[in-house]
Amino acid sequence: MIVQQIFNGLALGMGYALIAVGYSLIFGILRLVNFSHGAIYAFGAEMAMIFIGMRFGITAGIVTAMILTGVLGICIDKLALEPLRKKKSKPIASLITTIGISNIITNLLIVFLGSEKRNFNNIFGDGSIKFGNTVLTHTQIMMCLVSLALMLILMFIVYKTKIGLAMRATQQNSKAAAMMGINVDFVIAFTFFLAGVCATIAGALVGGYYQIVYPNMGFMAGLKAFAAAVLGGIGSLPGALLGGLIVGVSESMAATFLGSTYRDAIAFIILIIVLIVKPNGLFGREGIKKV
Amino acid sequence: MKRKIAIFLVTTMLTGLSMGCSKEQGNASSQAKGDSIQIAVAAPMTGDNSEYGIGFYNAAMQKAKEWNDNGGVLGRQIEIVRYDDKNTAEEATTIAQKIVSDKKVAGVIGHFSSGVCMTAAPLYQENKIIEISPSASHPEYSLIGDYIFRNNTVISKEAAASVDIAVNDLGKKNIGIISIMTDWGTNTSKIIKELVEKEGNGAKVVAHEEIMEGSDDYSLAITKLNEAGADVVICCGMYNLVAPVAKQYKQINPDIAIVGFSNAYSQQLIDLGGSAVEGVCFPVIFFSESDDENVMKFVDEYTKAYGAAPSALTAQAYDSVGLLLTAIKECDTTDSEKVKDKLYEMDYKGVTGDTKFDANGDVDKDFIKVTIKDGKFIKMN
Repeated sequence: MIVQQIFNGLALGMGYALIAVGYSLIFGILRLVNFSHGAIYAFGAEMAMIFIGMRFGITAGIVTAMILTGVLGICIDKLALEPLRKKKSKPIASLITTIGISNIITNLLIVFLGSEKRNFNNIFGDGSIKFGNTVLTHTQIMMCLVSLALMLILMFIVYKTKIGLAMRATQQNSKAAAMMGINVDFVIAFTFFLAGVCATIAGALVGGYYQIVYPNMGFMAGLKAFAAAVLGGIGSLPGALLGGLIVGVSESMAATFLGSTYRDAIAFIILIIVLIVKPNGLFGREGIKKV
Repeated sequence: MKRKIAIFLVTTMLTGLSMGCSKEQGNASSQAKGDSIQIAVAAPMTGDNSEYGIGFYNAAMQKAKEWNDNGGVLGRQIEIVRYDDKNTAEEATTIAQKIVSDKKVAGVIGHFSSGVCMTAAPLYQENKIIEISPSASHPEYSLIGDYIFRNNTVISKEAAASVDIAVNDLGKKNIGIISIMTDWGTNTSKIIKELVEKEGNGAKVVAHEEIMEGSDDYSLAITKLNEAGADVVICCGMYNLVAPVAKQYKQINPDIAIVGFSNAYSQQLIDLGGSAVEGVCFPVIFFSESDDENVMKFVDEYTKAYGAAPSALTAQAYDSVGLLLTAIKECDTTDSEKVKDKLYEMDYKGVTGDTKFDANGDVDKDFIKVTIKDGKFIKMN
């Protein structure tokens, strides 16, 4: 049973990792914890469900949803966060704004789509592979593969491309980057787009795994992914992956040995312990000022 | 600058006050004319459980319309006032306080979940306002007072029906329980355990897992239940628990039998669960496919007006409004003390069977055992 529970936990953790990446991307650039990310994730999942339902086909449906959610990310930045940056408001103002945006998105989804949970078609089919007593479903395996592939693509973008160079420059010092001719606003908008795309992929995968989507799905998942991002060192991509997996597996261990009642508490107990013992997380760099 | 702001603030406050006053007067005058009888529907209209609250409201509107088309009650029109409690105890208390201080409504239909009902009910009881909940099933809810009714069976009776399905109809012995961590869920699972012990026949509870409402991953709990050798799982939760549990369980063990409760009875269970919910059984007191004439008429009209067949709880809300209005009509007054006494005496035939309140304000109804076959709800043989 323990092996099975570890695999269940890993699949769960991959879901958290995909959401945690979004927190890390935006934190890396803006030093801002984007609490609206959970809602963006739910938005992405709902859009994917709608577009797949409209006979776009799975791939085209998800791609359309990705673009739309990316645009939503840009809109959030341009409408709410950029004006605050231009006014040089305190970081806390942006933080509270993101919490507000999260509520706006979730409630608009409820107004237009209703609060009920809806069916999300299983993307990868119902098959499963058996190793002795352990059952791995195709969805679990594909979730791991897609997450790893996405992580590699993101690493490639950040470390090997020109826009990635601009992102890293903005991250280190946005003023200096602007003086070197980098269009900082564009880089930030691009990052929000990228975070939206990741959120949609996470939404489609997790939604397909549980075959369920609903407007509030991002709340708990978003908080736990945030815990995962902090655990791994917020701002670091491999950290987000590792953090997500640790949170997922410890949740499954808590459920196995202590009972399902304790699983939700575990993610946050880990968060508090990490903040006390290693404030920068596993992969975090020294000297990052946290909001 | 500061002075300007101060002046501005004072003006706004004054305008607000005067507007508030005029509004109050408006309401008071309309009440003096006595042109309508108000019934409050207090339930979650937004948020996670909004589909139930909206169902209550739609059912109430439909019942009110039927009466209004026939001239209303006591020669006055019926007006349904909706309150959104978001299914939280905090909002429910605020709403209850507003309702009791306004003293305008003839009765309250609602709240939705047992826990929320039980925070609001003492306020209604203290102020002699009739509350009929279409959904609360916690045993202690109706004990709060004599103004507190429910048009839903107490959970111990329903749990007995569910256990009966699992043990006698399906013939399973090893029972697993999966329950949501709310006042209702915890209490229901406790009752099931006691019932199974009494049942004998070699039936036993092999495992019990409690899960948080709103977490979508049940694989961890399911793995444990499966490991414990459960051959039937009783799901204490709404359709949004039963459907994903059925899906995730059948990936591991396709032969598992699943038994639910009447609050899982909703078209959304099939929409959400697809082929995985085939064979899920539960007891209900309202069955929309019934061949009863009244039920067919109600389902037909409701579907025409709102685009979907009514769920069990919606039907129970529909009858709750009918009960209240009939009692008002027979008493020829909206005086809550007389209406309350009348409610205890009445024998009401509605779409959810015959309703007769006992001394606690509870109802006892016959259960229909329902299962899902080929994507449709059918009666079990």
